[in-house]
Amino acid sequence: MDLLQPTREAFSLLFTGNPELWRIIFISLRVSLIAMLVVTPIAVAAGFFLATVAFPGRRALVILIQGLLSSPTVVVGLLLYLLLSRQGPFGSWHLLFTQEAMIIGQIIIAFPVVVAFTLSAVQGADPRAHETAVSLGAGTTHAALTTLLEVRFGVMAAVFNAFGRVFSEIGCSLMVGGNILGLTRNIPTAIALETSKGEFAQGIALGIVLMAAAFGVNYALAFLQGEGGLK
Amino acid sequence: MSGLLLQIEGLRKNYGGRRILNIERLALHAGESYVVTGDNGVGKTTLLRIIAGLERAQVTHYQFEGRQVSLENFPHRLRQEIIYVHQHPYLFKTTVVANIGYGLKARHLPKAERETLIKEAMEWAGVAHLNHVPPQELSGGEKQRVALARTKVLKPKLYLLDEPTANLDAEARRQAIELIQRLCLDNNCVLIACHDYELINLPRMRRMTLSDGRLLPQVATASQERTV
Repeated sequence: MDLLQPTREAFSLLFTGNPELWRIIFISLRVSLIAMLVVTPIAVAAGFFLATVAFPGRRALVILIQGLLSSPTVVVGLLLYLLLSRQGPFGSWHLLFTQEAMIIGQIIIAFPVVVAFTLSAVQGADPRAHETAVSLGAGTTHAALTTLLEVRFGVMAAVFNAFGRVFSEIGCSLMVGGNILGLTRNIPTAIALETSKGEFAQGIALGIVLMAAAFGVNYALAFLQGEGGLK
Repeated sequence: MSGLLLQIEGLRKNYGGRRILNIERLALHAGESYVVTGDNGVGKTTLLRIIAGLERAQVTHYQFEGRQVSLENFPHRLRQEIIYVHQHPYLFKTTVVANIGYGLKARHLPKAERETLIKEAMEWAGVAHLNHVPPQELSGGEKQRVALARTKVLKPKLYLLDEPTANLDAEARRQAIELIQRLCLDNNCVLIACHDYELINLPRMRRMTLSDGRLLPQVATASQERTV
């Protein structure tokens, strides 16, 4: 197979501002960023709560969250499809094959990732951080935010990791989004479709964007960590 | 003697089935300085942490400024009055200024007032030149002085200092002792857990020894305690 020609076409599509291609990129970014904006505060708070508060069933919940880390996105898509389909309990909301359904799916996928990594970061925090905050007169919320700030690199890693997972997932987006051009077609679903049609140029162009986003996220994390990442 | 600040009666603390603290009565008076000595692992740190409300214990009576306090539900108000400083103080990964101003911010003081108080505290502790050094890069002695400034700026009624000179080199130790001495001479109530001969022998220092979980008036001589 000649890879050079479709790759050349891919760059041409990207840099000539092909509207269809950029619409797909825009949908991908919109869905994933909204999902992350919604899930981050809730999941970080849940991770902090799990790391610091003892309650009956806590261990079982931690195991469940960690188990959900490896849940296949297609299964999340299937469950969400059943819930949102016309005969499902939330069928009346008419969310199936919309960006909102994709956002809900990505929230469900990102949630355990952010919770589990935040839990791990907070558990690894120096206990003196929280004690010092409390001893200096910080209230419960202020002390919790201080501890999270002290482990911010771990928490940021949690958020970026989750973003990487939802931005590149295909199973759930395909099932609840339906891969509708201009509406719910995002980068991963478009790559799968274009490749199956033998349209490699667009697939490669979108693959480049996906890889660039992945590297961009990693570079952003490394930049934000700065000297803090050094031991 | 000044007024009674803190009174604890019937303090019991167990660890793994072993009773490590069994104190009938501890009374601290405003403006007085106290030192608790005792072997390593005898429970000095635990005692300070219990007083600061950072650790639970059985207490039949805990009274601060005449008001009854429950250790189970340590009042936030007391966090403003009693400050515990770790043996190795923890500095937040921000700046020296932000560390010293942390408690002031928690008390919602206006920015201008905070800045004035922080400046005074930094000069008092001799850390004004460390303004632009990341806290993680400070030496043990510098961290201890920043932690003392961070505590003093809040003007607590009771300072709980846990081994403030442990693991410091000679110069850093001298500087820390000088600051603590000034705190004591300024009529603050200070309770120090330590082995340091010079701290134990500071003027007006009231000495107690923790032994087999019991708190005894000072019986050990300075030479017995000398470990520096």
